[in-house]
Amino acid sequence: MHSRDKLASARRDLRERDVRVVILALVVAVATVATIGLFAALLQKTLVTSASAFLAADRQLEAEHGRPIPQAWWQEASERDIRTAHMVRFSTMVFGDAGFQLVSVKAVDDHYPLRGEIEMQPDASADREFVGQGPRRGEVWLNPRLMRLLALAVGDSLEVGNLSLTVSGLLLREPDGGFSMASLAPRIMMHADDVAATGVIQEGSRVEYVALFAGDESALEGYHQWLRPQLEPGHEWESVRDGETLSRSLQRAERFLLLGGSLAVVLAAVAVAVASREYALGQRDTVALLKTLGMTGPGIGRLYLRRLLLWGSAGCLGGLLVALPVYWAMAEVLEQVLARPIDSTLELRGLVPALVTALVSLFAFAYPPVRRLQKVPAMWVLRSEPGEASRRAWSDMLLAGGAIAVLVWLYAQEVSLVMALLAGLTMLLAVLALVAWGLILVLRRVAGGATAWRLALVALYRHRRSTLSQISVFAMTIMLASTLLLVRTSLLSDWQNQLPEQAPNHFLINIAPSDVAGVAAFWSERGYPLEALYPMVRGRLTELNDQSVRQAVSKDREVRELNRELNLTWMARLPEDNQIVAGRWFDDGARVGVSVEAQLAERLGLRVGDRLGFTVGSEVITEPVTSIRTVQWDSMKPNFYMAFPPDSELRRLPATWMTSFHLPSERKSALNEFAVRYPTVSVLEVDHIIERIQAIVRQVTQAVEAILALILAAALVVMAAVVSATLRDRQREGALLRTLGGRQQLLVRSTMLEFALLGFIAGVLGVLAAEAAVWALQQRMFEGDVQWHWGVILPIPLVSSMLLAVFGRWQLAPVLNVSPMLLLRRLE
Amino acid sequence: MSESLSQSGACNQPSACNQPSACKQPSASRDTLLKVSELTHQVNLGSDTLTILQGVNFEIKRGESVAIVGRSGSGKTTLLGLMAGLDSPSQGRIELDGEAISELDEDQRARLRAHRVGFVFQSFQLLPALSALENVMLPLELAGHQAPAEQARDLLHRVGLGERLLHTPRQLSGGEQQRVAIARAFASNPSVLFADEPTGNLDTHTGRTISELLMALNQEQGTTLILVTHDDQLASRCQRRFAIEAGRVQEFEGAL
Repeated sequence: MHSRDKLASARRDLRERDVRVVILALVVAVATVATIGLFAALLQKTLVTSASAFLAADRQLEAEHGRPIPQAWWQEASERDIRTAHMVRFSTMVFGDAGFQLVSVKAVDDHYPLRGEIEMQPDASADREFVGQGPRRGEVWLNPRLMRLLALAVGDSLEVGNLSLTVSGLLLREPDGGFSMASLAPRIMMHADDVAATGVIQEGSRVEYVALFAGDESALEGYHQWLRPQLEPGHEWESVRDGETLSRSLQRAERFLLLGGSLAVVLAAVAVAVASREYALGQRDTVALLKTLGMTGPGIGRLYLRRLLLWGSAGCLGGLLVALPVYWAMAEVLEQVLARPIDSTLELRGLVPALVTALVSLFAFAYPPVRRLQKVPAMWVLRSEPGEASRRAWSDMLLAGGAIAVLVWLYAQEVSLVMALLAGLTMLLAVLALVAWGLILVLRRVAGGATAWRLALVALYRHRRSTLSQISVFAMTIMLASTLLLVRTSLLSDWQNQLPEQAPNHFLINIAPSDVAGVAAFWSERGYPLEALYPMVRGRLTELNDQSVRQAVSKDREVRELNRELNLTWMARLPEDNQIVAGRWFDDGARVGVSVEAQLAERLGLRVGDRLGFTVGSEVITEPVTSIRTVQWDSMKPNFYMAFPPDSELRRLPATWMTSFHLPSERKSALNEFAVRYPTVSVLEVDHIIERIQAIVRQVTQAVEAILALILAAALVVMAAVVSATLRDRQREGALLRTLGGRQQLLVRSTMLEFALLGFIAGVLGVLAAEAAVWALQQRMFEGDVQWHWGVILPIPLVSSMLLAVFGRWQLAPVLNVSPMLLLRRLE
Repeated sequence: MSESLSQSGACNQPSACNQPSACKQPSASRDTLLKVSELTHQVNLGSDTLTILQGVNFEIKRGESVAIVGRSGSGKTTLLGLMAGLDSPSQGRIELDGEAISELDEDQRARLRAHRVGFVFQSFQLLPALSALENVMLPLELAGHQAPAEQARDLLHRVGLGERLLHTPRQLSGGEQQRVAIARAFASNPSVLFADEPTGNLDTHTGRTISELLMALNQEQGTTLILVTHDDQLASRCQRRFAIEAGRVQEFEGAL
């Protein structure tokens, strides 16, 4: 064929409805998978960047033993094209006009922060500014509360050790402000190069050197690999993902995106499969005709292969033309939500899964029936033989299942996800087979009659083959869409529970026992009552089963909690969000025992019954482990590694109290008054951390909703494609029924009923299969509680039956409003 | 089904009936099944209006067999459709079995079709997904018949397809498909059967079998038979013959 002829033949193809449906399915497939792929990549990048701000970098290396980071390590990082910054943290006394104060100092170099920004005010009356650099040499920024405590103003000088620094700003927020109770003293920030001149740091002082790294993910990973063997126990490597506060939310969001993308892949494959099979089966007459005209089997094979390739390319191109604008629009929305510019350059890698999905599903589903067309006898032109179709159904289904599994695996690289989806789908098909069998048995007994119900039932039975294939596809589509809906619902409510509107955003620490009542009254008078108050005794874990803990815990386990003081507490009741995983909680009036946090217990290899010795000051308390419990670290409430019973020996030791409460940002001025009245109580302000987490959760939520909307739209298109596959037959039947005396209303009612029944059955099966898949997914991926989601199970069958009834009505519309005469003419 | 029930040449209704005044007939007498008066039908083709039928008048009595002949595009099928109530005429009045179908709405006409009208089409119009039996059951179900399967089976036996009840149209030959269509047309025991080129897609021999079947059922059940045909042989077997030319209908005797 000449190329012009080929073009003409392609245009002729396009006039066929089946071909248009195949191409439409491909377009939808590529568009959905590509959009989700691109958006997921963008979101991941954005999330990691915004989460990285918590470290002020992509990675941090902390040296807690008071020795600076070796020069060679800096060298290696810069050779790997990793940007670096360094800072020094220590505590000291500072002197101002109104006296002295213990402060925690953060000395930073010119490159700090590598990620995120510092929020400061050049003057108490000036506007807030976001700056990318700390104070210059000779200058210092102070926490506003410290400013008040020391009665300083901008321009005054502050003595830090031997050095006098000029106060040049108010430090409002550091990106890596963190949430550690180690730094309870108010913060000052100065330049790292000034540290030596202060003379504060000497042999044996408590000081932390911190290296910040930012750069390409693979470079950072490579650097970590290089560095790991050289790290000492006092070194700690931190990445965003290790951070306790955000990691779980981030991980879940990523998994949701992965799941959404995988579902899009499956949906797309189903759409292409349905459309292309329909096409292939419809081509039998044409093939037989071509054969009578003298075309050979292999020639026909080549012809159709060429066509599939052509449509594959057309579909991919069309899909991209849809996906790219949608992606840019979504990026725009994300930018608005975040209120900051994001880098929305196209990640070409995000497009690969879409193209692979389209081509694999086109060839896995369309090619087998098309290839079999070669074997269609020329005789088919004259008369078809019965019972030809079903023999290959099994091998086709295996191929289809295999193709879907491989696609999802390629996309998600997550075996449990593939298994959960495949198990859900297989179960669905098995149940479908059973239901179908029962349905046919029941429907067979329905005799015809002029009521819409009976006509609908009879039609379901008459078209049992298409009934079954439609129910299967609808049920699969509904299953996939409701899986995502269910996961999204539990994801969002989980996040909501984690950080409710009134989540505590301020901690009060170091409350003397005599002040407890006064502090509680101070805040409840102002309408911000305190949450639970916890006693706190600081002590080290020193003995394990009467051995020194250093010897008892094997050397290769690096447990940083052994290097520092732990907050020990006593409590009568288990906090609501804690869960006992081994042993049992203290009985009323218990005096002995300690409850250990589960992760620490695992790192130390602790079991119930082990004896732990704690050194508090000069005293040693020894208690057996009576329970191990999990703690919600991201709950923003006081959490403790070690909890003792209320009447334990710990009670004899001097304790201070801590608590948390919610204070709205517009009432923060109350803190000044509080600081004056209770100068010894430390206030830890975490409101900005909570705000940032809430912002990230909001942004992830938006993304989750957008992806859900995309998937639902794709599901609708798939359903419409399936319904329209039988459009011609349906319209023909409608026309004939009208000629034979079927009233319009009867036709409308029976058709809508028929589709409503179809939709209902598919809805029930689909939503139940989704529950099963979600159950499997929750177990492995989202670690949530398993429960029946009645709020989804009940409405979905109703919605799907209504939706399909409307589809049915729409399909019949061309038949209803013209005279039967015209219809007959059209049919001739 | 091949025994000859031929009525050829037995046309005993003379008179050309193009003017109502020249053709005095009692309106809606018990014997009159169909009465067409001053029927005019036009279709709009964009800006042009095409007159297909103009001032047509005639009556057909119960039990008669009538052939309508004419060139392609002369309006035969349009006339058939109007008489069967598949469409409403631009002007004029059509009474079928005592009811003025030209004044009924589409649903009322549908109900009339369900109980009193049967159809046979040139291209058979069987539903491909349904078996022969199910195709014949369709009108019975629409009419609310109590035992549609038995009735349909019986009809298929009578047209000689008792052994092929479960075959789908694709598995049947053209003649067999048309026989299924005829069984379907007679299923609701209609008072009139409209056939549009019933032998048009069939070879001469098969065509003859089909026309014999139609005639036989017309005789046995007393169903009025109105058909449009190009087939002289079939036309000549009808009691009356109308020719359409330039929108006018003329009854004639003998061969065309």
